[in-house]
Amino acid sequence: MNEPAIRVESASKRYVKYDDTPMLVTRLARLRSRTTRSPLWAVREVSFDAAQGEVLGVIGRNGSGKSTLLRMLAGVTAPTEGRVTVRGRVAPLIAVGVGFHQELTGRENVYINGTVLGLSRRQIDQRFDEVVEFAEIAEFIDTPVKFYSSGMFVRLGFAVSVAADPDVLIVDEVLSVGDIGFQMKCVDRMAQIQRSGATIVVVSHNMAAIRNLCQRTVVLHDGEVRHDGDTEQAISLYHRLLAEERDLDERDSHAAVHSSDRDFDLRANIERFDLLGPDGSPTRHLASSDEAVFVVEARFVAPVEGPLFGITVFSGSGVQVYGEATGWWDRKTYRPGDVLRATIRMRMCLASGTYSCSVGLATKEGVPVAPQAPPVILYVAGRNGVNGLTDLGAQFELAVDEGAWPPGRSN
Amino acid sequence: MSVAQRHPTTLVLDGEVTPIRVLLRDLWRSRELLVVLARKEFFVRYRRASFGMMWAVGIPLVQAVVLAVVLHHFVRFKTAGAYPVFVFSGIVGWNFFSSGISAATGSIVDNREISTKIYFPRAVFPAMAVLSGVYGMALTAVLLIAFESAYGTVPGFRTFLLVPAMALAVVLTVAVGLVLGAVQVYFRDVKFVVQAALLGWFYLTPVFYPLHAVGRLWPWLLANPVTGVVELFRAGSVGADPGWLPSLWWSLGWTALLVVAAAFLYRRFDRVFADLL
Repeated sequence: MNEPAIRVESASKRYVKYDDTPMLVTRLARLRSRTTRSPLWAVREVSFDAAQGEVLGVIGRNGSGKSTLLRMLAGVTAPTEGRVTVRGRVAPLIAVGVGFHQELTGRENVYINGTVLGLSRRQIDQRFDEVVEFAEIAEFIDTPVKFYSSGMFVRLGFAVSVAADPDVLIVDEVLSVGDIGFQMKCVDRMAQIQRSGATIVVVSHNMAAIRNLCQRTVVLHDGEVRHDGDTEQAISLYHRLLAEERDLDERDSHAAVHSSDRDFDLRANIERFDLLGPDGSPTRHLASSDEAVFVVEARFVAPVEGPLFGITVFSGSGVQVYGEATGWWDRKTYRPGDVLRATIRMRMCLASGTYSCSVGLATKEGVPVAPQAPPVILYVAGRNGVNGLTDLGAQFELAVDEGAWPPGRSN
Repeated sequence: MSVAQRHPTTLVLDGEVTPIRVLLRDLWRSRELLVVLARKEFFVRYRRASFGMMWAVGIPLVQAVVLAVVLHHFVRFKTAGAYPVFVFSGIVGWNFFSSGISAATGSIVDNREISTKIYFPRAVFPAMAVLSGVYGMALTAVLLIAFESAYGTVPGFRTFLLVPAMALAVVLTVAVGLVLGAVQVYFRDVKFVVQAALLGWFYLTPVFYPLHAVGRLWPWLLANPVTGVVELFRAGSVGADPGWLPSLWWSLGWTALLVVAAAFLYRRFDRVFADLL
């Protein structure tokens, strides 16, 4: 039973990149003796193990071979050389809602998606109620998914994926999808899956998520393992590699178009985002009169001039309750290696309920420069009798003018 | 409870080649998936249509009627049974074949959203595309029997030949579809080649004419893999053309050859298709 759940032994993967898509007719007509193709090693001599029940992080900049490695773990592609062994059923959370058909109802899609993920009909029958409950879409389960909101779609997809009872869960940036209230449930569910003995591989650009979830982290760079072990060391190596890449880019003067494939321009990482209660210790529970203290640390990997730094509070149903950003007065230019330490004090004048707080960092033009850190979920115990989202602290002053009954014929 | 005992499957990937034994084992394990996906394909196709799956039988029927009316005017073939029934008996098998291989050719590429994220044997995609037409073929076969009775022929013992006819149509179409689906991943113009080829292929198949209508060339028609299917449908309805039997062996031979070719294609490429999608 000491067999690792995942064993990768000097795995290498070569892709053949075609300069133009090969065409049968062209080939047959010998119009071109051969297509120009260039081999490319996406992953080279990668080796590591992951034990049962371990949460392993995989980080690296874009193009470092992470996706290729994930594809091999999911069995979608095979290594050109070396060996990959995965014990048990793999559920790729990269595949949330994959194969959902717009015209089919939620129920039909659950059965199809469940079968695709390797469940038998009977197993899906057994888990069906659980899936619907987790996805919170009971009343829409017989509605075609084309009428679903994107949140409902992702919730259902996630619910089926985790219901597949995986031995190995592959999580790729999953924390950045879905509505905010649901993310807490996902993280809880992942912890539950891990406790049941499953192995989880987390791939993310989000260092706060990696730090929260992973005991051990592998850093990939140019298809090779540069670090395998302590997560803190992995993150600092990752930052060094990012900074090197930056320098190269600046020299090539291509910096402006950098990382246009993401919805942010990676220049900083939010490394810490914690909520401290009135007594100064981390907490998730507050009373509505308490002062909340958010502590944020962001490390810059590229220069940012006068960044905007903001915080938003969402209700459990995804309504923005509050949002504010600095920036107008913070004209400082941050350089690579600088660490911004922020303390945000807020009086949480909120009604009872679950709220989620996010912080963000953007250029003064409003372009995000850091991946979204996982939101802080907090539970507010409000004053009795307060409904809604905020506690505006109404003071009721009641006076009564005694009137005659029936109402007078005054007009 | 140990996780390894819960799901005893172990995935071992050492090199890009998948042994045929492993391919067959995984395919067998995916049989439920295959049926579920084929059903989905079929029902999704007609879900939003006005008369639903009536279209699955309506189109071949219109096709047969048009062909029968037009050709009856210009050429008169001497055929077994009434000419419209004769044409319809040919249409049932041909339509299943042509729509099956068209769908199968694009199936691996078109499902890239699934195939780049989750693994199951890639042969499931073309097979699914072909099998989704089985419901439609079965309905048209029933209509063929009704059609035949309407023209005064009483369906008899030979009607049971429609069952092996459908079986042959399925295995042949799956075999062709497996090969074309795999080739399409590498050469993205294959689906156009297939479309063009089907246009000519239709006339080289005795769908609306009997074997002997082509004069001395008729033995060549026997080598067309679809001839066997069409003639077997005919044997189950209006009666097959004389001298048709060798076409059956040709069909089976082609099927066997293509299945072997497919086995080697998927052995080599099953685990690397995703690289090109």
